[in-house]
Amino acid sequence: MSCLYLNAPVSVVELKSWFKEGTGTSKLLEAMQRLEALYIFSDERGYYTMHATFLQEFRNALTGGGTSQSFGLATSTPDKHHVDIAFLDEYATQQWEAILHFMVGTTEGKPPCKGVLNLLGRSGLMTGGSHPASMDPREYATHIGRQDLGVPKITHKGFQFLLQDINTQVWAFLLQYLNMAESLNMDLVEVLNFFFQLGSLELGNDYSSETLTDTQTHLLEDLKAYGIVYQRKRGSRRFYPTRLATTLTSGTPVMLGSHTNPNRIGATANSADGAMSAGAGAEENDDHGFVILETNYRIYAYTDSPLQIAVLNLFVHLRDRFPNMVTGVVTRDSIRQALSKGITADQIITYLTSHAHPQMKKNTPILPLTVVDQIRLWEIEKNRLRPTPGWLYSQFNRQADFDATLEYASELGVVIWSNPKRRMVCITSQGHSPVGSYVKSLIARHREQRSEQQQQQHHHQQPHVASIAS
Amino acid sequence: MVKAVKGVVIKCDTSVKEIILGLNQHGNFILEDLDETHVFVDASCVEQLRVDIDQILNENTYNVEEANK
Repeated sequence: MSCLYLNAPVSVVELKSWFKEGTGTSKLLEAMQRLEALYIFSDERGYYTMHATFLQEFRNALTGGGTSQSFGLATSTPDKHHVDIAFLDEYATQQWEAILHFMVGTTEGKPPCKGVLNLLGRSGLMTGGSHPASMDPREYATHIGRQDLGVPKITHKGFQFLLQDINTQVWAFLLQYLNMAESLNMDLVEVLNFFFQLGSLELGNDYSSETLTDTQTHLLEDLKAYGIVYQRKRGSRRFYPTRLATTLTSGTPVMLGSHTNPNRIGATANSADGAMSAGAGAEENDDHGFVILETNYRIYAYTDSPLQIAVLNLFVHLRDRFPNMVTGVVTRDSIRQALSKGITADQIITYLTSHAHPQMKKNTPILPLTVVDQIRLWEIEKNRLRPTPGWLYSQFNRQADFDATLEYASELGVVIWSNPKRRMVCITSQGHSPVGSYVKSLIARHREQRSEQQQQQHHHQQPHVASIAS
Repeated sequence: MVKAVKGVVIKCDTSVKEIILGLNQHGNFILEDLDETHVFVDASCVEQLRVDIDQILNENTYNVEEANK
């Protein structure tokens, strides 16, 4: 870093003196080797020089100068329709929760646009009828958007997705978007560039969309649908990053206004600052735990978020709903319903554990053992049959043949089941062709041996017969 | 002569095995009764078998919700 504003080459000795003895020097050497490999630094007779172009561009990037706009171009003129942070938060929450709502299958909020549906389908978070991989993504979007194919269902992967915090969710979404970008004829580099740029933008400022390339403008359109950026209307010259965007690169969890928060009951009109401080407070206590699970399978969830209720509804039989809480029972049927959607018992238990109420977290273990065990038992019960496709080999004529086959098959590791007394063995489908040909060769060898024996016997008998005849 | 038959090996507990044997009286899909916990059946009937067993097991469970009503 320090080399940035040094115009003269630095000597190796001088460079070494910047670092601590021992560990520092070895790290320095490693770093320099990498930088040299990237042609950022060059070594000339004991002096390091930074590459001129790199130096120029890097200085530009840090100071926001030049034409590259690595940190986005803030608009110079004030916006007539200026929006404040509270509005952006609300917008981001609304958009993002609309997606999550759609995933859990509630009717609240408007259904997300085709781009979102497309992404959900492609990422395997939800399934909606058939989705052949070869299909054009845009065509596919209209495909699953149509009602006649039935409403897309949440998948096993989708449920896992819901259990994560928002920051991880946004990243997962964006990564999926990157995977998809190529099939949409978008330039990966530009997409990636824009993502990182977004991460370094400042909340509450507006940025100009004029400098963006075509790909990035299109990208902006999609990100708008996810609630990551806000644009007043299509083709508007300025856009605002929301909290979802600005926290992309920082590790701090995103605190959205409507996220469940026990301190926030009744406070509907929260200012942005209020939401921030309440969010920060809750974060210190624990990250929004609100579920109490009793040993009698009853569940009390202190939440007013329709989203959280909808998630719970996936595996809990909800009974009563109050302004600030819902009650329900974990039943065999409710768990089985969740299991049939591909949600595993472990996922449910993880969800309950991570969202346990602070009071519950004082217990060890956090969840009552009876309930946890029962949920697992219900899952096992559902998988009582363990079918394995295979081939049954039976009616071996000789014990030796059977033993040889069994030995050969177990060497290959393809035996599912065997019974030497009944001379039966079950082989997996993969093992069928090698074992099959082995058995055939065994039989063929026997037949040869037998015919040879017969011929020999024949030879023996011939002179005998002849002598009798004479 | 060795005979090879294609099918599905089902591993299950003994109680489910009995249910399968019972169902077999209608459908006759068992190719070979291997032992107490294994049975070799026709590949096409596995899904149907799963549904049938689920249904039978459902009838034999106590339901809290229904009991409360």
